[in-house]
Amino acid sequence: MSEALIWLVAVPLAGALLALLLPRFAFAVVIATGVATTLAAGLLVYGVGTAGTLHYAIGGWSAGLGIALRADGLSALLVTMSSLVLVAGSVYARSYFHREADQARFWPLWLLLWTALNALLLAGDLFNLYVTLELLGLSAVTLTALGGSAEALRAALRYLMVGLLGSMMFLAGVSLIYAGYGTLDMAMLARTVQAGPLTGTALVLMTGGLLLKSALFPLHFWLPPAHASAPAPVSAVLSALVVKAAFYLVLRLWLDVFAGAVTPAGADLLGLLGAGAVLWGSWRALRAERLKLLAAYSTVAQLGYLFMFFPLLQALPPGAARDLAVGGVILLALTHGFAKAGLFLAIGIIQQRSGHDTIRELDGTAQRLPATTFAIALGGMALVGLPPSGAFLGKWQLLAGAIATGQWLWVAVTVAGSLLAAAYTFRVLGHAFGHQAYPGRPVTIAWEEWPALLLTATASIVLGLAGLPLWRLLEVGT
Amino acid sequence: MLTAQWLYALTGCVVMALGLRTALLHPSLLRRVLAINIMGSGVFMLLVAVAYRGPDLAPDPVPHALVLTGIVVAVSATALALALARRLARERADE
Amino acid sequence: MSPLSLALFDILLLVSIVVLAWTALTSADDRRSVILFMAFGLVVALAWARLLAPDVALAEAAIGAGLSGALLLAALRELPSAVPSSGQALRQRATQGTVSVLSAALAGMLAWILTAHFEGPARDELARAVATHLELSGVSNPVTAVLLNFRGYDTLLELAVLLAAVLGILALGPGRAAYRPSGPIFDALARWLTPLLLVTAGYLLWVGAHAPGGAFQAGATLAAAGIVLRLAGSEWIGLPHDGAVLRLVMAAGVGVFLAVGVSLLVLGRPFLGYPPAWAGALILLIESAATLAIAATLVLAFIGGRLPTEADRKGDAVTAPAAGAGANPDPSDNGEPRPC
Repeated sequence: MSEALIWLVAVPLAGALLALLLPRFAFAVVIATGVATTLAAGLLVYGVGTAGTLHYAIGGWSAGLGIALRADGLSALLVTMSSLVLVAGSVYARSYFHREADQARFWPLWLLLWTALNALLLAGDLFNLYVTLELLGLSAVTLTALGGSAEALRAALRYLMVGLLGSMMFLAGVSLIYAGYGTLDMAMLARTVQAGPLTGTALVLMTGGLLLKSALFPLHFWLPPAHASAPAPVSAVLSALVVKAAFYLVLRLWLDVFAGAVTPAGADLLGLLGAGAVLWGSWRALRAERLKLLAAYSTVAQLGYLFMFFPLLQALPPGAARDLAVGGVILLALTHGFAKAGLFLAIGIIQQRSGHDTIRELDGTAQRLPATTFAIALGGMALVGLPPSGAFLGKWQLLAGAIATGQWLWVAVTVAGSLLAAAYTFRVLGHAFGHQAYPGRPVTIAWEEWPALLLTATASIVLGLAGLPLWRLLEVGT
Repeated sequence: MLTAQWLYALTGCVVMALGLRTALLHPSLLRRVLAINIMGSGVFMLLVAVAYRGPDLAPDPVPHALVLTGIVVAVSATALALALARRLARERADE
Repeated sequence: MSPLSLALFDILLLVSIVVLAWTALTSADDRRSVILFMAFGLVVALAWARLLAPDVALAEAAIGAGLSGALLLAALRELPSAVPSSGQALRQRATQGTVSVLSAALAGMLAWILTAHFEGPARDELARAVATHLELSGVSNPVTAVLLNFRGYDTLLELAVLLAAVLGILALGPGRAAYRPSGPIFDALARWLTPLLLVTAGYLLWVGAHAPGGAFQAGATLAAAGIVLRLAGSEWIGLPHDGAVLRLVMAAGVGVFLAVGVSLLVLGRPFLGYPPAWAGALILLIESAATLAIAATLVLAFIGGRLPTEADRKGDAVTAPAAGAGANPDPSDNGEPRPC
């Protein structure tokens, strides 16, 4: 069962090589890889659910000497989400890239990104995390640059420089940890870490690097141009998965590995920055002219919600309330992942059919692309946090925890942010439902619209209704 | 910590800080890429200094392997950054 | 060497490192910056050698100083040099001041930690664990053992990083044209240097098992041979013309490594858990494939993009990068520098 851990990395990597060597069969390779990886992810969830946290020692060497992979409920759920989102994105990408040449360049990098995501989510060694972060960053940057326009290239270059800076800071932190503790294994560190200047500085360096990569306000400046000018399937994955991976690492480091070294002041700082992200991101999303920019700023805002959980988790004593809060943040992260991915895919379809994604000129979209408009509505619902979406449960936990610990600022910010999200969602839908004089074609769903629809439906319905079993799975390991 | 370790680790930190400063401030992209490389060298110096255990004991090979990996990763990223910048300069020239 | 003279050497070396770094970073001219950077890299390699890290020293000299320097030099001609903006001087100075203070604070904090918080015996459990398990690893060079055996998974992913970077570079467009045919002096040097580099690369690959060396150093030396040939005017420098074969070479590094790992997994052993009797041979196999892949990748990175095909020459911008671009028999090129 624990071999699923290494298969989840080996299969996409093998797929990437095959897609590179056999460009004519690349899509078949991608689909085969996707199915195999999703099956392995399912196996992982089953394994974690029945047997608890899974470990795999690569090479068979003992912990510390070799590199270990580990999966608990959190990693298993995130791996499953990334598999489903990437499969959906692959199906859509098939129709997005028309030219054979573009496809040949795209698929190997897409699968390398997949490999990096799985490797990162399952890593149990700090330096291994650094290498996976670099692989993730480089493949994300090259995929962004495939947009081809000067705007995309500029955004990709900025993304790369910011990413390199972040990775370098992360590596500096890891070096300090090795200097101080003599080990890089995360499980061993979790047992032996003590608060102190060395651990504190290392944690600051690592977190700083990760905050750059997760685009937390005010370090978010690189995200909107990159996500807005990348090809649509790439934007979906960037917003839903890549920045989420960096957030996952902050969560893992703060709650798990370095739990003994975090301070309330640090958690409060993260919360404040998150609050800023929610307000600033939602405001900019409301004022955006283009759909993709709106979605990108919405990502900035939604990540803010995730970071606002930190002061709550710090203030709540270990127990049922804290577990519920952890469940809330994960559910919020999962919902945003599915919703944002679906949203970007839907925007891609609109962009392809209409030639633009200007919000003011969206009239007639509901007539021509009813399924896609419905997908946008579902996605918006999940972003606002209306029931029965998973975000509703997540935000509910955020509010409950904030009220319980008396931190009213987060309550105010959450309410304001949700209102702004509702505003920009309804703004888009209002324009999309604008009436065009010419009668539209009969209602149909093209096959490329299905991924967006399924993703947003998962976010807004399935995740909310499946909240309880997910909660139980998260208790494994955290 | 041996004196030699301390000296080299300290130099590594100084070089890292210098590189960080230029990477954030300098207007030229080439210089910023160079600065990130120098910052990387600073971090590597810290690691190799930690690995040194004196003239008589063999050094700890794990940081050496980490630094080797880091050097290769840094050159890959440098190459990609410069290729992107070159393509961008060409796009701008065509505009 | 007496302790006093060693300490003097250390001080001299460290001061040179800091001074070179400072001048490279703050020089007014980008060209001077790059040259100082290469010098910095070489002095840092010297520092690695002094700290008893010869494998790292080889890699730093070849890759960190040599190849990165070559990449930066080649980019110098193409990138616009920054025009320092005259306006917003005050705001710029405020930003500069803040960043400088923060960087200094970081250095200070780290210095304090290094000085005040490292009492007690050094933690060397990992070093001792490596030494204990070294004979099971199949090689006797501990760094190679860590890189290719104990922490081989990191190396696998690192080769994937290299692959991702080169795929990105190839996707961005055609590479730089080869330089014009060289004059007699460089020509003679290239004829002499290239075979030497090839032999050295092979030696480094072989010797990595029991002495400083290994796949990365060998691959970088091989790439250096390719760069020398390119500078001497050769377009294809011996790379396969067929896109499919080139992709095979690029993918071979990760491919062979992954294939070995997965085969072991299928045979019931842990992933990348080499049986001790076979470990040496497997490591050599993996390193050979990796050397070729690393060399091809680094040289393509230096070329900066796709090698020109017939279609590119005729001005057709839409060509699949390496998706079977087909043979391009360049009659003037047979892998050797053209005589002037």
